[in-house]
Amino acid sequence: MEGSGYQVVYFGPQHPGVPGNIAYKLWLDGDRVVKAEVVPGFLHRGFEKMMENRTWEMNVAMSYRFCVEDPDHLEIAYSLAVEDIYKAEIPENAKWLRMIQAEMGRIASHLFWSHFIGGSIGLRTPAYWAVAAREEILKWFARISGHRVYHNLSVPGGIRYSLPENFKEETTRVVEFVEEKARDVEEALLGNSIFKARLKGLGKLSIEDALNLGVTGPVLRASGLRYDLRVHAPYLNYDKVRFEVPVGASGDSYDRAVVRFKEIHQSLLIIRQALDEVRPGEPLRVKLGLTAPVGEGVARVESARGEYMIHIISQGGRKPYRVRLRSMSMPLLTTVVDHIVSREEVTIADFPVILASLDPCPPDLDR
Amino acid sequence: MVLPTLVKSLKHLASKPYTRLVPRKSNPFKTERIRGAHVLDMLKCTGCSMCQQVCPAACIDMVSVEGNYPQNPRRRFPRIDHSKCTFCGLCVEYCPVGALSMTTVTGYELFTTNKDTTFKQPLQLKEPLGRVTVTKELFTKAYSGGALSKGEATTSKGEE
Repeated sequence: MEGSGYQVVYFGPQHPGVPGNIAYKLWLDGDRVVKAEVVPGFLHRGFEKMMENRTWEMNVAMSYRFCVEDPDHLEIAYSLAVEDIYKAEIPENAKWLRMIQAEMGRIASHLFWSHFIGGSIGLRTPAYWAVAAREEILKWFARISGHRVYHNLSVPGGIRYSLPENFKEETTRVVEFVEEKARDVEEALLGNSIFKARLKGLGKLSIEDALNLGVTGPVLRASGLRYDLRVHAPYLNYDKVRFEVPVGASGDSYDRAVVRFKEIHQSLLIIRQALDEVRPGEPLRVKLGLTAPVGEGVARVESARGEYMIHIISQGGRKPYRVRLRSMSMPLLTTVVDHIVSREEVTIADFPVILASLDPCPPDLDR
Repeated sequence: MVLPTLVKSLKHLASKPYTRLVPRKSNPFKTERIRGAHVLDMLKCTGCSMCQQVCPAACIDMVSVEGNYPQNPRRRFPRIDHSKCTFCGLCVEYCPVGALSMTTVTGYELFTTNKDTTFKQPLQLKEPLGRVTVTKELFTKAYSGGALSKGEATTSKGEE
């Protein structure tokens, strides 16, 4: 496209419209985006290689570092994969607690996302309410695990920390608070006429295109396909709880927003059911040996952004031989953005809105 | 809808600003389990270097210290680089004698203009900088025995 008369603009990485440390090279015809090319690499650290040089227990502190918004699913997936190698069965109590951890992480991630989507179109007030609600979840995590963002709560074998005394009361309080705030944010955003006008019909993605491009998670469900790993390939105790999988109709940006807000309420429902099953005082962790047996471990989880898969090969040492990660944001940031731009009339003002509605996590692409 | 909003705004009009002076005032986000700067009990540490081996950031190394420590005949103690530390707490969890603990001192309280001061020698780690929060007792004991010990049974030959 060089020399074709289009204006070439670099969008990011220090731009409020991009979701993180990532850049786009945009070809503009007037204010219309003709082509978008992702420029990755700002956060590349070689996580897969680094994990090969660390022992099984050390890798927990490594496993979640490439997605700030949703680290819980990453550490749970790593723990599940290692337990798959050891063929270990963790206590029921730990499974329920991991579900609570995962769903709290999903809610925090979706609330943080509503901050981005609100910010991308200038609706900042409900966005701040969402951040205030997320703050309660972060404080809840800090009370259990000691840290706000990277929790180190799930380790191979179970749960790392003993539960605080008032765990159930505290969790119920947070769930009620978040439910109220999430409803406020939902009402203020989804009912807003500017929000509707800007998002409806923008960035459409059909089921066929989404499947061909490898899209999973809320973006795929917004296109209309009812596919959720928690239902279709249940891990932990997801087959023992009742919840719905919300889907959209047209697959545009507005549908993605609706699906995410519905998912928050379904996650709260799961937390309430899981909380009834937690038995404080019962064992939370099973003993794994220092050296893993020879074998392979695979874990798939439905993270807040889509399907996350981790494959670990062990050759019977204290360290993994090979770690392979299937990240959830890879298709969203690379192929989907270019697909939407090439098929739809997207202006440069709408470009950050489409990016925010996909909710990608750039470090997860770079790793 | 309008009246409650007005009442709420007036209430916030009279309140103090949320910003506070750091580091003189305590951080409101500090919980009972926050993982911050380490404390070393030099009368317990045996110098086994387990903390060094388990550190994912490789910020711990063992150094020699002068003095009389009967439980530690080689007189080797951990030295921690706080500029590298991720405060994951693995050293506290895996210390076999419970010599390491963590305190409330985090974030801006560890900021410095001189990088040399982030290297904490064993004698500097002796005195807690803040309230001690995370000790070995906080971590769950691994359950082994009964029907749940499958993982242990498959790996018993590999125990080091």
